[in-house]
Amino acid sequence: MFEVRSLRGRILLQMLITLMVLPFLFPLVAMVQGSLAGDGWANYAAVLAVPGLWRFFVNTVIIAAGVIALVYTVTMLAAYGFGKLHLRGREVYFWLLLACLTLPEVVLLTPLYTTAQTLGFFDTYLAVILPLAALQVPFAVLLTRTFIQGIPDELFEAARVDGGNAIRGFIHLVIPLTRPIAAAILIFTLIAAWNNYLMPLVFLQSTEMQTITLVPQFFVGQFSNDQTKILASAVLTAIPEIVAYLCLQRMFERGLAAGAIK
Amino acid sequence: MTATSIAQIERQRETVGGARGGRRSRRLRPHGLPWILPALVLCVGLIYYCIAYTAVISTWNWDGIDPDPERVGLGNYLRISKDPIFWKTIGHTVAFFVVTFVIQTALGLFFAVLLHSRVRLAVVYKVLLFIPVVLAPAIMAPVFRRIFAPDGQFNWLLEHIGLGSLTQPWIGQESTALPVIMAITVWQWTGLTFVLYFAAMGQIDQSVIEAARIDGAANSSILRHVIWPGVRGTTLAMAILSAIGALKTFDVPYLVTGGGPNYATEFLGTYIYRKTITQSHVGYGAALSIILLVLALVMALILQIRGGEKEIR
Repeated sequence: MFEVRSLRGRILLQMLITLMVLPFLFPLVAMVQGSLAGDGWANYAAVLAVPGLWRFFVNTVIIAAGVIALVYTVTMLAAYGFGKLHLRGREVYFWLLLACLTLPEVVLLTPLYTTAQTLGFFDTYLAVILPLAALQVPFAVLLTRTFIQGIPDELFEAARVDGGNAIRGFIHLVIPLTRPIAAAILIFTLIAAWNNYLMPLVFLQSTEMQTITLVPQFFVGQFSNDQTKILASAVLTAIPEIVAYLCLQRMFERGLAAGAIK
Repeated sequence: MTATSIAQIERQRETVGGARGGRRSRRLRPHGLPWILPALVLCVGLIYYCIAYTAVISTWNWDGIDPDPERVGLGNYLRISKDPIFWKTIGHTVAFFVVTFVIQTALGLFFAVLLHSRVRLAVVYKVLLFIPVVLAPAIMAPVFRRIFAPDGQFNWLLEHIGLGSLTQPWIGQESTALPVIMAITVWQWTGLTFVLYFAAMGQIDQSVIEAARIDGAANSSILRHVIWPGVRGTTLAMAILSAIGALKTFDVPYLVTGGGPNYATEFLGTYIYRKTITQSHVGYGAALSIILLVLALVMALILQIRGGEKEIR
């Protein structure tokens, strides 16, 4: 965008951006430094020695996978219906769905709590997966519909002329062509499901069902407020997230560049 | 910036809009209703059911257990209108939205422009900026509590750069607790604003910028007349997302300050949680939830309509 020709200008630019990024790095450095205070690496050993730490990870993975599978299936079907099929009252349905985008999750607490208890969902993965998916689908449909609308109609018409029905069009056109936007949805959903705090806090009461966002609180109880160990547990839970992001980073940028959001 | 290049941008916008609007041979298409049904059942079913349920509860004086709650009509809403803490949370939400949105937009634009300007090691900066977005606020909360503690790293840093007179208990006093919450939010979400701006800027036609530069436009005027209008859609989307995000704010104040001290960082979300779960005033919490929902919808509509108007003009 900007053109800086002189060497001095470019060095200044580089220094400026480095200086501006430092505050973003600071909390991460403080986290690692704090986790090594006192007993040093022994903090990590103590955290890893706590039985059941794995449970938190496994639970989070199960919940995130469930939410992603549900959101992906439901979104692709709906975005195809909204984008390329005949639908009377299309805009009404679409706005019904979009209004859900504005919904704060606290609003769901009381009704879900009582309903989950009556239906016996309470303290199961479903009690968290269903509302999380419901909250993610509207945004995912919004992104995917715009993307599918951008696919030329001629492709779908050609498929129909060849005797294909809507299902064939879905399997052979929608699924392969929406891959870039699916990557963006995958990542947004993963972040939302992995990082959610309120739903597990309220709906998963027993310790063996809880997720990694509840780990710091769990350790406050375990180590009676020994800050260094709590920070060590924070580092340990942050590492998989950073690794996952670094692995998916390429895919994510391509998804955004595919025109996900304008 | 010349008139030609402005016309060029306008023409581009028109072609993009035109391609999207094209619809034909509708009667040949298969029916879409069965396809959207699963999404409708999941979202509309679950969410609208919950909203209706909450609306009903909001007319009760209920502790969450009593099988025969007292019907109070709009009594809860009347009490809320006279509740000073409720008005405090509204004030916090507005201030929080304005401050975080302005700072994130400025920083996001700044980073996006610089990283489009052939800076070395651009990937490293990108990754560093985006890592906060992927980290759970719930995981980072204890870290920030530690950093902003009276003997924490932030005060340590201030002392070591010669600003020792500024050290204070950041979380523990009313005047600085809210700014701390804002700072954490800016830290967390600037990466997303940046990435979206970065993607949007990649779609601005390079030849327009080249043309403007040949006409002798300075960097600042290219930023104002080409880049800023070119990313308007992103700015608008971010405004809607931040406004709704501000209304939804829960994790950070709940975990870092607990809404305190003396309600200084209480938001609608944390207040609803406090009323519903901690104090078992479930009816009152439900009424607060309905107000929150209406505010979020109105906010989205206003921003959507205002954005639409500007698009036409």
